[in-house]
Amino acid sequence: MARIEIIMPQMGESITEGTIVRWLKKVGDHVNKDEVLLEISTDKVDSEIPSPAAGTLVEIVTPENGTVPVRTVIAWLETAGAVAGAPLPAAEPLSPSAGPAPAPVPQGRRETPPPAAAGRFYSPLVLSIARTEGIPLTELEPIPGTGEGGRLTKKDLLAHVASRKSAPAAPSVAAAVSAAPGPVALQSVDVPALRAKYPAPAYEILQMSNVMQKMAQHMVQSVQTSPHVAAVHEADMTAVVKHRDENAAEFEKKEGFRLTFTPYIAEAVISAIKKYPLVNSSVEGDKIIRKNFINLGLAVASESGLIVPVIRNAEEKNFTGLARAVNDLALRTRAKKLVPEDIQGGTFTITNYGVFGTLLGMPIINQPQVAILGTGAIRKRPVVIDDAIAIRSIAYLTLAFDHRIIDGALGGMFLEEIVQNLQRRDREWKI
Amino acid sequence: MVITAHAAGKRASGGKLSNPDRLELYYYMRLARECDNAILRLYRQGKIVGGAYTGNGNEATAVGSAYALEKDDYLFPMHRDLGAQLVKGESLRNIFLQQLGRADSLTCGRDGTGHYADPSLRLYGNVSHLGAMIPMAVGVALAVKLRGEKAVVMNYIGDGGSNAGEFHEGLNMAAVMQLPFVLIIENNQFAYSTPVRMQYAAQKLSDRAAGYGIPGFTIDGTNVSLVFETCRKAVDRARRGEGPTLIESVTMRMHGHSASDDAAYVPAGMIDDWRKKDPIDRLEKILLADHVLDEESKKKMESDIAAGIDDAVARAVESGYPSGEDAGEGVYAP
Amino acid sequence: MPPLTYIDAISRGMWEEMERDPSVFLIGEDIGAYGGAFKATKGFFEHFGPKRVIDSVLSESAIIGAATGAAVAGMRPIVEMQFADFVTSGFNQVVTNAAKIHYRWRIPVPMVIRLPTGGYIHGGPYHSASTEAWFAHVPGLKIVAPSNPADAKGLLKSAVRDNNPVLFYEFKYLYRRIKGEVPGTDVTVPIGKGEVRREGGDLTVLTYGSTVHFSLEAAEKLSKADGIETRVVDLRTLLPLDRDLITESVRATGKVLIVHEDTLTGGVGGEIAALIAEHAFQDLDAPVRRLGALDAPVPFAPTLEAAHLPDTEKIVQALRALALY
Repeated sequence: MARIEIIMPQMGESITEGTIVRWLKKVGDHVNKDEVLLEISTDKVDSEIPSPAAGTLVEIVTPENGTVPVRTVIAWLETAGAVAGAPLPAAEPLSPSAGPAPAPVPQGRRETPPPAAAGRFYSPLVLSIARTEGIPLTELEPIPGTGEGGRLTKKDLLAHVASRKSAPAAPSVAAAVSAAPGPVALQSVDVPALRAKYPAPAYEILQMSNVMQKMAQHMVQSVQTSPHVAAVHEADMTAVVKHRDENAAEFEKKEGFRLTFTPYIAEAVISAIKKYPLVNSSVEGDKIIRKNFINLGLAVASESGLIVPVIRNAEEKNFTGLARAVNDLALRTRAKKLVPEDIQGGTFTITNYGVFGTLLGMPIINQPQVAILGTGAIRKRPVVIDDAIAIRSIAYLTLAFDHRIIDGALGGMFLEEIVQNLQRRDREWKI
Repeated sequence: MVITAHAAGKRASGGKLSNPDRLELYYYMRLARECDNAILRLYRQGKIVGGAYTGNGNEATAVGSAYALEKDDYLFPMHRDLGAQLVKGESLRNIFLQQLGRADSLTCGRDGTGHYADPSLRLYGNVSHLGAMIPMAVGVALAVKLRGEKAVVMNYIGDGGSNAGEFHEGLNMAAVMQLPFVLIIENNQFAYSTPVRMQYAAQKLSDRAAGYGIPGFTIDGTNVSLVFETCRKAVDRARRGEGPTLIESVTMRMHGHSASDDAAYVPAGMIDDWRKKDPIDRLEKILLADHVLDEESKKKMESDIAAGIDDAVARAVESGYPSGEDAGEGVYAP
Repeated sequence: MPPLTYIDAISRGMWEEMERDPSVFLIGEDIGAYGGAFKATKGFFEHFGPKRVIDSVLSESAIIGAATGAAVAGMRPIVEMQFADFVTSGFNQVVTNAAKIHYRWRIPVPMVIRLPTGGYIHGGPYHSASTEAWFAHVPGLKIVAPSNPADAKGLLKSAVRDNNPVLFYEFKYLYRRIKGEVPGTDVTVPIGKGEVRREGGDLTVLTYGSTVHFSLEAAEKLSKADGIETRVVDLRTLLPLDRDLITESVRATGKVLIVHEDTLTGGVGGEIAALIAEHAFQDLDAPVRRLGALDAPVPFAPTLEAAHLPDTEKIVQALRALALY
């Protein structure tokens, strides 16, 4: 015995339903194969429906005058033997989503945006919003992107624009040192001689700002003056990260601003300079001028361009004092309240391009100094410690130095001293 | 001119050609040939660009057939049917404006040669896919029938075009629906360079009519009176609502497919043989013999024709080309 | 008026236009007493008679060519292709005659060619094709593709009243599957204007016809599951495209997915993508994405057909990928 289904057939490609006109058999009646079982009516045609098999009509699901979608079961037939072949499928879903399994596609949104990447792609829309809002590329770069591969999406940028407009300046050192610069007000100018060579609208002629012109002058002068050599060391920042994480809340409560990594690095540098003071020098002719004070410069990308405010007599400050000095400079840089002394007389400079996601940089010495430290982004990496693999927070530190007076040995030792200062777990970062 | 006055009045009253009718047929054949000659001159002078398609040898077929139509009948001629266009009333000025691609032409310079339409004359020119005209012309006949009008649609195709699918599809529909439609096959021996023996295997192209259940005739296409009489019968039948007729009018294309074709593929002597049957000479001899035409009136007619063409060409040449800015205009009807 | 199915809305539109204008007539295969392969003209022959409802010979060339000629002579024919697939047999008449006549002759060609189109009906390669892209390349034609009963009726009426050849793509899948209110006798839907079916600020779907419905389903799913809001634009007219609505929709979201059930390569979606690249480049926050059928004939077996054609789930996936970009 087998039970087989009688379905409403599809009488035409566009037909979606049918109506039972008449059952020619009652429940309990025997029906032969291909004997007419019922009559149906559709929008297109009326038809007699033959039985698919010989057997007994055991159940009528849809009575006369009932209208049902095509391929709906309308009755059941019981046959004597086993049914050959597979039963007909039941009603199809309305939406034709059957088919091969879909290729796996990432589901939902990413929980954590990947950090900003340097030199990344910006969509035409992102660039046009940036242009309208007066946001230079340098400011775009540090904004974390939530799109594919960390791409900066329209939403990311609009959120940035909104916070930029509404948020009062949060007193954050990181913001100062890394400060995403505001619009560098580059004015379009019309220079007939250049315009002939670079016609609009294909080309735009922009006036360099004063800061930019000075930067250009300084940078060219620096590479012409000093034979640059760079050394790169890997610093395990795990201890620093841990210390900061543990103390950040209390620090902020006490001091009223956020604890950043900058004072840790500044402290390590000052300590290392004390051990290798030649790095804190300048050159005049065949004379070296070694300074017995440390005016520590911190490179800041600002609204008007690159600025290097200076912490004077940094060697006299303890850790908290350094943190306060960094924060003070940050606030005054943003408020454009820096006085000329704030940016003069530096003896050594730190530049933190890590905030832009840069892992490794080759900074240019800020003349007349003879060395500059560049700090890359802190990333968790697997590292081998005592033949075991551990996850550590790693940053690459670059020391660019003037080979006229600093050789590779001194440069390497000085840089390694900074690294060791940062890595010492027992170090006192007194807060 | 007397000819024009006659054209405005009754033509071939009672289905018979009067002497003025025959004189008028002669005039239109001469006019067509001289226009074609002028077109070739202009083409060779570089004044007509693109191609020049003329109908030397086809005058009796074109003029005799169109002469069988009434004013309200529809004409769908081809590129060798200048005579039919003139009989239907098209002006020399419009014809040369069109050939020269001028702004003032009926197509505003958007299409060339005989590809124009003049709805005021119920005249609709061809497209280059000649067979494609047949279903459309049949559609005009359908509109005529649906509206209960008495007009007839006359359409032309070549020995080559008769092999296109649309010949069959259009003619079959016209036959099934008994539409007022007359289709004339101008069998001029060559489809471009391909001779008729390579175009169809039937004895006569009119044999195909039987396949559609309609009458078919094959006639001497250089005899203008015969062409007229055959076409008039077909037109009358169509007007009575008895359906279409297929007429194969046999003649010779006395030159290449276009002005840029030297027709070297035409067997030696074939042109000369056909020249003996030149449709214009044939009628001229009869009219001279019947004293319907004399040398003096012939000369007068010739000089009138030449003057008319010169005037039309001069005025057309003066008219400028359309502005390039208008190239995208008129794609859609408002 | 009770809600009408999509096909009944088309019938109603034709009926009203035939009542309104005696120059409107129908011509096609099996459309007379039989009422048409899909019964779109059921009852027309009895009411309007053989001069208004013409059962023609089986020849798409003759049908379209004759309709073109009748239009030139001042009538307003509505042609029924039995299936959109079969228009290939009359292609020459559409592109060589109908489309070019006004440009060449300044004579209007007011005709409508109705084309029952598309898949999801297990019709196989010759009863399921989408043919609109071939004609979207032809100046002089207009192409409409309604997705619901109200538009079907309104656009049909506009097409009949238009003085140009209008290809009216009607989706077999929708014929009896959807019902809706239709407007009154005098209401038309303008040709050349799309409509926003669903608002959303994150993504835009540009689509037409059957895939409007799948896109709306996909947008709802995405809203519920992912909180992503999708604007769904029903283009309604494919020639001429509603350029303003398209660029405005790009501006609204910056991310665009074009969906059609036609095959991808050379489809209308490619033209839309090019239009966006040309006119809305700076509003793009992602590459324009397209979802169409596989570049293959529409297959017969249900599994193959389902794999071939776009559906709700495929649209959801494409939208998710776009959202993540």
